[in-house]
Order: sequence, then C-alpha cells, then structure tokens
Amino acid sequence: MTGVAAVPHFDAAEIAIVCDGVWKSYRNYHQRSHTLKEKVLAKRTRYEEFWVLKGVDLEVPVGSTFGIIGANGSGKSTLLKTMARILTPNRGFVDVRGRISSLLELGIGFHPELTGTENVYLSCSVLGFSKRDTQARYEEIVDFAGIEQFMHMPVKNYSTGMYARLAFAVAVTVDPEILIVDEVLSVGDESFQLRCYERIAKFRAEGRTIVLVTHSLEVIRTLCSQALWLHDGVAQVSGEPLDVVAAYLGEVHGHLDEQLQTGEVVQHQRFGSGEVVVDDVVLLQNGEVTKTARTGEPLTLRVEYTAHRVVDEAICSIAVYRADTLAYVFGQTTRQAKVPLRLAGQGAIEFSIGALPFLGGQYLVSVALLDDGTLQPFDWHERGYSLMVFDNPAFTAQAGIVRVDGAWRASTATVPA
Amino acid sequence: MRSELGDLFRSRELLWSLVVRDLKVRHRGTFLGMLWSLATPLLIVGLYYVVFKFILGALPVTDLPRPDGQAVPFAIYFFCGLTLWNFFSGSLSGATGSVVGSSYLLRKVYFPRAILPLSAVLSGLVTFLFELAVLLVTVMLFVGLPTVTFLWVPVIVLVVGVQAFGFALVLSAATVFLRDVAHFISVLLQLWFWSTPVVYSLLFVAPRPAMLRMVKLNPMTGAVVSFRNVVLLGHNPSFGLLGYSLAFGLVMVTVGFVVFHRCQKLFPEIV
Repeated sequence: MTGVAAVPHFDAAEIAIVCDGVWKSYRNYHQRSHTLKEKVLAKRTRYEEFWVLKGVDLEVPVGSTFGIIGANGSGKSTLLKTMARILTPNRGFVDVRGRISSLLELGIGFHPELTGTENVYLSCSVLGFSKRDTQARYEEIVDFAGIEQFMHMPVKNYSTGMYARLAFAVAVTVDPEILIVDEVLSVGDESFQLRCYERIAKFRAEGRTIVLVTHSLEVIRTLCSQALWLHDGVAQVSGEPLDVVAAYLGEVHGHLDEQLQTGEVVQHQRFGSGEVVVDDVVLLQNGEVTKTARTGEPLTLRVEYTAHRVVDEAICSIAVYRADTLAYVFGQTTRQAKVPLRLAGQGAIEFSIGALPFLGGQYLVSVALLDDGTLQPFDWHERGYSLMVFDNPAFTAQAGIVRVDGAWRASTATVPA
Repeated sequence: MRSELGDLFRSRELLWSLVVRDLKVRHRGTFLGMLWSLATPLLIVGLYYVVFKFILGALPVTDLPRPDGQAVPFAIYFFCGLTLWNFFSGSLSGATGSVVGSSYLLRKVYFPRAILPLSAVLSGLVTFLFELAVLLVTVMLFVGLPTVTFLWVPVIVLVVGVQAFGFALVLSAATVFLRDVAHFISVLLQLWFWSTPVVYSLLFVAPRPAMLRMVKLNPMTGAVVSFRNVVLLGHNPSFGLLGYSLAFGLVMVTVGFVVFHRCQKLFPEIV
C-alpha cells in the first residue's frame, strides 16, 4: 500500500501528489522462470536489479499542470505508475489526494474481446463511476472520441488511433480530480490532438490537477504551470517550465557541444588570432536569455566579446546552418549591412530578427569577428552554437526550413461552349 | 483484512462489471449466448438420465427416504450434487487465471486487486443459479415438490462461496508467480471431485471407517451432502459437517487474504 501511516508534512489542502524519496527497482531476470520445472532446476534465480527511480521528491500542487520531461528510460513512466498506485515504491512513499484517472502507455485497460461500448462501461466502473453515471456521460464520451460507428466492434479490431481516442475520452470524462497522462497526445490526427489540448485547458481552468509526461517541450512551455526534468531516475530540476526546459536543453545541447567538439556531428572549428575573443553567444527573447525560439517570434543574437586591443574597423559575421543536413540557411556580416564596428574592451554586438523565419528544427550558428582591412579572423567559431526552433501553432503548417508567407488560389479555365 | 473487505465493498459496482465482463467474454461469438448457461445443464441432466436409467440400469437411491416416500432416480441424485460441485470447481478454475488474465487492467489502473478472484467466484455463482433453476424444474418433474428445507439453500451456497473465495485468493495469486498452478489445479479438482460424495453417498463409504473419516475431512462433503438433503430429499442439512465446512472456509479466506495481500504489489510487474 502506498502512503500508509506516514505523517503528512505538507498542507493537505494545497498539495495533490507528494512523492517522498521514491525509489523503485525492477528485477531484470535473465530468464524468468514461470513454470515449476524452471523454478526447481534453476539453482538460484538470477537477476540484476536496476534502479529506475533513485529517490525522487516532488510535490504537485492542487490545480497545477505538472509536466515531466526527460530522455527515454529516465523513469518518467515508472514515476507516473507509482503516482497512479499501480507500482509500489521499494522505498519512500507516494501520497495522492483525490480521485485519479490515468492514461498510461496510451491505454486505460480495454478488454480486446469486448466492444467499445462495453469497454466504456467497464473502464468507467474501474475508475469509480456507477452505471448510471456512465449512461449519463456515454454520449459525451462517444462524441469526444468521434468513433461512433465503431462502438459496437470489439476493440481488438481498433486502430491504435481509435483506441487512444476512446481511452482519452473515457479518462477525461470520469470527472477525475487528478488526471495523469503519459504521452497520449502523440497519437491521433491533429484535430483530435487539438481537442485533447482544449480539454486539458478546460481541466486546468476548472482547477483540476494534471500530471503529464511528454517529449514535446512545446507542450511543457505552453500548457504546464510547473515542470520536472527527470534524468536517470533523479529529479534534476523542477519548477518554472521555462527554467526546466532551459536546463534540459542545456544538457541536451551540452551533449551536442561535446559531439561538436569531438567531431561527431561536424568539426567544431575555432581559430583566429585571439586579439579579440568571443566570450559567449546568447539568444535573447524579450530581453531574456533563451535556448529556444519559435517561428515568427522576435529573436536577438548577442555576441559578447573581449577585445585585448582596440580595433577600429572590424566585421562581425554570423551564419546559420541546419544541424541535420548542414544546409546553409542564412548568413550576414556587419560589412554587408554597412554597419561600422569598433571593438574595445568588453562589449556586445546584437543582431535582431523581427520575426524568425526558420521552421522547427535544430540549427547551428557560426560567429566570427574579423579585421575589416585584412580579413584576418580574430576569433571564429564555426558552427559552435546551437539553436532549437519550434514550429508556431499560430501559423498554417509548412514543410521545409523557412517560413514562406504565401497564399493559394485556384481557378478553372472556362471552356467555350 | 477489515480494510480489504471495506475496499471490496466500496468497489461493488466494479465487481459487478467484472462479473458481467466474465460472462460476456465467455459467451462472445456464440449463437445462443447466455442461453448456454441454461442449455448446458439441461443437456447434461438429459444425458445422465438416459445413460443411467436406460443404459446402465441404475437403481433409484434409497439412502435417506423422502418424507413422501418418492424414490429418487440416480441421474437426478448425481446431477444435484454435481450442480453444487460445479459451482465450486468452476469458481476455482475461473479464479486461477483471474489475475493473470486481467493484466491489461492491472497495468493501467489501480483498484482493489482482490476483486478479481471475487468476481470469478461471483460469475461462478451466476452460472450456478442457472443450473439451480434447471435442477429445481427437474426435481419437480421427476421427484416431487421441494419441502420447506429448501430454504437452507442460500446458507449452503454461501458456505461454498466463502470456501471458493478463500481458495480463489491463494490460487489466483500463486498463478502469477507459477503458471503451472493452472494445470495442477485441473488434476487436483478431479481428485477432489472423487473424494467428495457426488457420485456416491456417505452410506456407500460408511462400511470403510478410514475412508469415511477422510471423506468427512473434505470441506466440500458437508456442503454437498446438505445440499442434497435440502433440495432433493426434504431433510435438514447435516449441521455438523456444514459447520465444519463453514469454519474451514473462514480460515481459508483469512489465509487467502494474507497471502494475496503479500503478493499483490508485485502483480503489475510480473503479469
């Protein structure tokens, strides 16, 4: 049993879920013996114990939307399962205040032989709904799932998308005080995803608590009021979603930088006389440092330098490449822009973009400071910085690498009679 | 254990849904559907009647005369005990795989896990009620009206239910760790069937005291003997044996809860 006899050390009115030093291990049996013969013949059951959660502490306030991010295998799903009371922690405890509805691994526990309708009734009663409650909400569930014509078919014949739709529809309809969602929003078409987000937003507005695991940093940024970055079973950073995303990206980019330096992605070259040194390149959005940007939003790139001597005529050059294809997307120098540049002491050069035209993806940025007369580089960082761009849901979807503001028009040639 | 029972009580809606699920899945895809619950016992009692009366020429049973002196055909005597036995054995074999068979639920949602074996016993009970109806009609047609002792039936059924639930808890948990249990239990139930006086009466083993003692140790004996007494023969239950059955069942439920409780937190990881 979870959370037995523990002294509550939190204000019960404000916290929906507490995880206190949660440790969870799985036993990785080399070959699990399921039968008597195997049990008897195996001298000793051989297994490796590996820890998935290593002392996770967290508090989810009532009414918050709590996002969990982390790489695959970092323990996100296991953490959700301990919250949903499906797994029992080896050490520590989980305390949950409120009626939970959970969507784990895209499902809610449908019996393959039963029809959609029968499964709706079964799942609702598992989640604590009476038959009458279910009847009252049945139409709503079917409407939301949008698979009315398939409700009399056994769910074993459902597609993954239909299954997930129905599961989500049930999970959000049973009036949970706490909704736990594991990556469910990654399936289904866009209109369904949009409805899911609307539903989650409605949940949030109603003051319910939502815990969700996602790989989409965009979801964390836009939906969540709090976030947690789980890495290797340990809670790395938790708090403001933007901070958590930044820390997470810092780590991911750190890896990328390492790869750059070891030449795994591309040779990260740095060369120059060193008379002027580029100390750092930062991205700014509305005056705040960021690691990410969104298509169509303003973005400023700031090059911070230290000049060991005064340079009266210098050039700053920047270039942007796609990280995946290394396509050269954009480049400009202060000379091309006819901006005179004088470097002295410590300073910064900013390049401001009114509306970022790049579409979602990973980009690499090169920055160089050169002498305008001799074109000798002082400090050249070839593809030394990375920039993560997210697609902007406000725009019509496009493919490619840059956003083009175009319009379609179709006309039919009139055939002379 | 009190809190576990409370949990089970609070989840009675779910319990009923699971029973319905069991019955639906069992009859899925069949033309007659739930009618099979009625058709199967009807066909079986018809078959027994033909085999025992016309082929084997079995004599009517006379161990305990009915108050109205009406003789009881052997086929019906047999069918009566078998009905109750089927409730017990059906519940047990259903319960054995109940936890393993619900892995799709266990891994997704939390609910009191003991509901699974309990729902298996309850769906056994529903099937039994159909058979009981067939039995009652048969008795009225071929033997005579049941007497007031028939009112003991719910008590006897409860005793068997308690016993079945106790064993169901242990078996369903054990199967998670050792799949052999399913095979083992089908053999064990055969053995158990023959050591319960279903085909024979207690009078039949009475000349052999050692065997009689063994048969009386069997907790199902009291239930089956009493059931036949009240349904078929118009006599009171065998109170001593039935009391023993009840006590055995209560001990078994306690043991079952302890075992089940210790195992259940490992279920989602293993099934």
